[in-house]
Amino acid sequence: MATEAEQIAQRVPGEKSSFPALALLVGWLVPGAGHFMVGKWVRGLLLFVSILGMYLIGLGLQGKIYSPADIQGILDILNFVGQLGLGLLYAVARVFNLGASTVVTTVGDYGSKFLVVGGLLNLISAVDAHSLANGRKKGA
Amino acid sequence: MLTHFPAVLLFSLFTSVVFGITQRAEPKMMVRFGAFCFAIFVGATVVVSWLMYAIKH
Repeated sequence: MATEAEQIAQRVPGEKSSFPALALLVGWLVPGAGHFMVGKWVRGLLLFVSILGMYLIGLGLQGKIYSPADIQGILDILNFVGQLGLGLLYAVARVFNLGASTVVTTVGDYGSKFLVVGGLLNLISAVDAHSLANGRKKGA
Repeated sequence: MLTHFPAVLLFSLFTSVVFGITQRAEPKMMVRFGAFCFAIFVGATVVVSWLMYAIKH
């Protein structure tokens, strides 16, 4: 009878290679790219469109792009970390000064939430790509 | 300009797609779970909106 540790090891055949970690990293940097790496093209495309949609709507509603300099409390930290989940999209917004520096309207607040949730969704999808790459999740 | 209800629909749609793909393994179950999440998101928003309206009036 296999122990629990042995059963987990059996479910994770590719754990020792760097491929799962690469899928996680690439999936975080570019939405859906981790799924492209493991050959899940349709899922990757749907994730890319969904997260890019959240990002573009957030910017369109003049959502705030958080930076370390804006942090004044725990909520700012959470918002900043959430938006970091957008990966390269966050970097693009910072470099090209997209979005708003402060929230001045109600819809601007909605836009910030779209950006934060988009980042969190991207983190979930990157972890999913990691699970597919190491065999922990069996994808049909 | 995006108004409130279309914003709710788009937020629910995109979020449900990601939840469906990441939280289920089989394509059929992904679609079912995504549709379930979408219905819950939109339904809860409508119910809470009417509750707030009732409290206000």
